[in-house]
Amino acid sequence: MRRFLVVFSLILGVGMGLVAEQVNLTFYYPVSVAGPLAKVIEAMVAEFNATHPNIQVTPVFAGGYNDTLLKVQAAIMGGTPPDVAILLSTDLFTLRAIDAIVPLDEFIEADVDGQKYIDDFFPALMANSLLEGNIWSIPFQRSTPILYYNKDLFREVGLDPERPPTTWDELVEYGLKLTQRAPDGSVLRWGLEVPFSGGFIWNFEAFIYQTGCPGCNEVKIVSDDGTEVYFTSQHVLVALRFFRDLSVYYKIMPNGYINWGTVPSDFLAGRAAMIYHSTGSLTHIRNNAPFEFGVAFMPGLSCYGTPTGGGNFYIFKAIPESHRKAAWTFVRWMTSPEKVAEWSIKSGYIAVRRSAYSTELMSAFTSEHPEYLVARDQLAYAHKEFACYNRAKVTKILFDQLARAILGEASPEEALEEAQRQANAELEPFRK
Amino acid sequence: MKGHKGGRAIRNLGHILLILAAISIWLVPLWWTVITAIRPVSETLSLTPQWITHRPTWENFKRAFNLAPWGRYYLNTFQVVVGTFLLQMIIIIPAAYAFARLTFPGRDLLFYVLLVQLMLPAAALIFPNYTTIKTLGLVDTKVALMLPYAASAFGTFLLRQAFRTVPQELEDAALIDGCNWLGLIRHVYLPLIKPVFIAFALNSIIYHWNEFLWPLVVINSPSKRTLTLGLAMAFKSQETGFDWPLMTATLLIVISPLLMLFVVFQRWFIRIYAQSGIKG
Repeated sequence: MRRFLVVFSLILGVGMGLVAEQVNLTFYYPVSVAGPLAKVIEAMVAEFNATHPNIQVTPVFAGGYNDTLLKVQAAIMGGTPPDVAILLSTDLFTLRAIDAIVPLDEFIEADVDGQKYIDDFFPALMANSLLEGNIWSIPFQRSTPILYYNKDLFREVGLDPERPPTTWDELVEYGLKLTQRAPDGSVLRWGLEVPFSGGFIWNFEAFIYQTGCPGCNEVKIVSDDGTEVYFTSQHVLVALRFFRDLSVYYKIMPNGYINWGTVPSDFLAGRAAMIYHSTGSLTHIRNNAPFEFGVAFMPGLSCYGTPTGGGNFYIFKAIPESHRKAAWTFVRWMTSPEKVAEWSIKSGYIAVRRSAYSTELMSAFTSEHPEYLVARDQLAYAHKEFACYNRAKVTKILFDQLARAILGEASPEEALEEAQRQANAELEPFRK
Repeated sequence: MKGHKGGRAIRNLGHILLILAAISIWLVPLWWTVITAIRPVSETLSLTPQWITHRPTWENFKRAFNLAPWGRYYLNTFQVVVGTFLLQMIIIIPAAYAFARLTFPGRDLLFYVLLVQLMLPAAALIFPNYTTIKTLGLVDTKVALMLPYAASAFGTFLLRQAFRTVPQELEDAALIDGCNWLGLIRHVYLPLIKPVFIAFALNSIIYHWNEFLWPLVVINSPSKRTLTLGLAMAFKSQETGFDWPLMTATLLIVISPLLMLFVVFQRWFIRIYAQSGIKG
């Protein structure tokens, strides 16, 4: 009888131990590319739950990136933050300002292969995660703008379809040939479309980085601590002059606002011969282009250059230690080479780790679709995306001033000085 | 005589053209939505606008149906909309009556305080409301979607103004005849202010049917999502440009019941709006 009791209490104890170890995590995620991606995420999480009996992750779809940030902020104020979330890599400063997240260095150091894991990510994708000497987020759904061009139209105007433009001069030269006007002067087809709308400066950033020197990473428009911007630098000025001239002087691009969402449609309809758009649009364009198209690096002035964009994993602060550990296990699993490859193929985002490209799944896919490798290779010229404290406000300031210069309401110099002045005022409270 | 007749014909023609123009403002976007929803993706990329489609397809609707369990979302939205409205009735009818007919100290001050609510946009109250809901332990419940709207200042204001137009004598007569307070509301006040009451109901239903931000913040479980959250799955493709056929097909799935309701009851709707003088 006594033996029975001992065994019984042992079983009970172990059983209760197991119950106590079960950790329930909440995971907020946005969806911002076309297609049923919420289902892909849910399926991946279900697979994680099935293989990790002690951790149950509940995925919570939270709209677009901005909606997800709003939901996270509300949850934090209510005292029930999610355990883990995908938010823009550039949301780092916003999350730091409300002290919402934990640095991940502790977890990385605790893992035997931690440093190897971090080094496997493309450095340009990691750049937005670094602040105050810590790593705050893990890249997951990332993209860069790339050049898409219509090979049929290249042939039509006598350009070599296998030689996309590589410099700004060539971009203008090709654009002039590709732009087609009716006898009355109205434009039938634009040589180039670069999205510029809605306070969104992502594509313009590319032009800034393209004024750098080859192999160096020194074109800076914001300080590392996110409290100072350098909008009046020569790099920004040169970029703005060229960006304005594309529509005002060379007239190979529509002047004024160019809607992000309609640029791929214009390209597919043959209304624009070349476009700069997210790598995330590649699948959409590949599935719908009724012509042969090419993908290439965006041309540069002295060097190729591009910003990165997209979302990273963050782990939150006001949760128990056991939750943070479980969240880290989840993040590591979601960013394992196989899962990174699977996610990249299903979503169209860049696979964020080098080793993902040597997985069987990915190499089979890229040997069939080599165009997906262009974005990866362009990462060698990538810079971190513009981010600072009060990012939404500062970005809007810059966008509005760029627009004034492009629409001819101010000279580029005046516009950038005004942007710098207003941005300084916004950033003042964050300077120590 | 003949000239007079001709003048009338021209005037009638003018009326008809005017009405056609007005109809087309409403009809063209709807027509475009329907056409885009049933055309193949490749056709949406045509250089010139295509007003009809030669190859209608259900493919977009199939994709839209696969996005989310729409039946469940319908049920959720329906429950929330009806629940919110019932809660509002329970609270604002007595409140409106009290502000309209009873005299008690501080009545006017209280009323003005209530009106301040009208001036605050709902989005500004998201954080405080969330904190309250959290304290009550109601996060991720449908009740949380209804509660912040229960004491509608707009509804109270509207009904109070309407109640005041009812002659005091009618109330007195009913009371003398032995009618109690509930009976008074049911048989005297509500029938007399029916148009205002229904206008408020429509306003409430349409607002909560379309609401996005608050459900987004409060709801976590996929099984409790409302229609608007489902719509977001088709519409939030900000990184890749717009998939118009999918967006329009999803939109039609979501709005078609309301649209049908409107077509069936349109005479009634219009009469009510015309009587109450409320803009939608």
